[in-house]
Amino acid sequence: MRLAIIAVASLVLVGCSGQLERGVVIQDADPAPALAFTAANGERFNLASEKGKVVLVYFGYTHCPDVCPTTLSDWARAKRALGADTTNLRFVFVSMDPDRDTPALTQSYAKQFDPSFVGVTGTEMELEALKKRWSIAAYPEGDPRSGIYTVAHPARTFVVDRQGRLRVLFEPGVSGEELAKDLRKLL
Amino acid sequence: MKNSRRTFASCCSLVWAAFLAAFLGAGCANKEEAAPASNSLEVRSAWARPADSGATSAVYFVLGNDGQSSDTLTGVESSGLADATGMHVSTQHNGMMHMSEVTSLPVPGDDSVAFRPLGAHVMLTGLQRPLNVGDSLSITLRFISGRSVEVRAGVRQP
Repeated sequence: MRLAIIAVASLVLVGCSGQLERGVVIQDADPAPALAFTAANGERFNLASEKGKVVLVYFGYTHCPDVCPTTLSDWARAKRALGADTTNLRFVFVSMDPDRDTPALTQSYAKQFDPSFVGVTGTEMELEALKKRWSIAAYPEGDPRSGIYTVAHPARTFVVDRQGRLRVLFEPGVSGEELAKDLRKLL
Repeated sequence: MKNSRRTFASCCSLVWAAFLAAFLGAGCANKEEAAPASNSLEVRSAWARPADSGATSAVYFVLGNDGQSSDTLTGVESSGLADATGMHVSTQHNGMMHMSEVTSLPVPGDDSVAFRPLGAHVMLTGLQRPLNVGDSLSITLRFISGRSVEVRAGVRQP
């Protein structure tokens, strides 16, 4: 529960950062946990190879009707607002629904919002390991055997800074414009 | 439950109904003008998210009740649009996002409730056709009074 503790502590500290308007800054941030998957196009995404870039990570699922598309739409709006300043910015959507979301479906879903977005997922075993490393939870709600179920997943967007540290959290509902303002300060 | 109206059990719905009545009504600044004679239900600002065939979409709108008497939204249906159609609300708890089915939603008289992102929405699961930007769709809201309201929503990005 290391991240949960950090998140709670950072909520107390948010007013002290004095830098970001909506992002919750994690003080004394640790290196981000490992996150590496092969996308459907064969390209390998490895968070460890993204140093020098700011990386936004969201854990959701493609059948999510509300929160995930709202978040990714806000990301797309932020990217448009940033214009040419996005060379060192990566947006990564990780599906936590291995029963329904294939790498191809996840990649296609992410790219519906912006062609540059990365959409990856893994096997159930890989995702279980990922959850432990990131101290997050994700689990089906309803009956997965019916094929009609939802997935409880982390609410926040995780932001890894240019030094590879898990540095900022964004709550749902931060608009694209607000996100762009804060990202500009991180780039 | 293919193309079917969901007839919702009343069990467990009252708490949600009370919560949603407060939650949804709180942000509705554009309350409809009262029109006691018409006692009408009106939907405005309806839109739906684009999605591929087989995927999931959501429909959002503001539901106004011009009359003085309240009514209760008890179900939603679609025809030839999705494998399942239902009302849900997104909630955040302990850093997690959850979705819960809504079985009953009061619509007070001379007031309105909003279905909006990160809140209540009509969920279309297992789309039978893709929803592309510029398309339109139709769903039907069913009320405890026996009334029904057709919602026509354009498909667009938020």
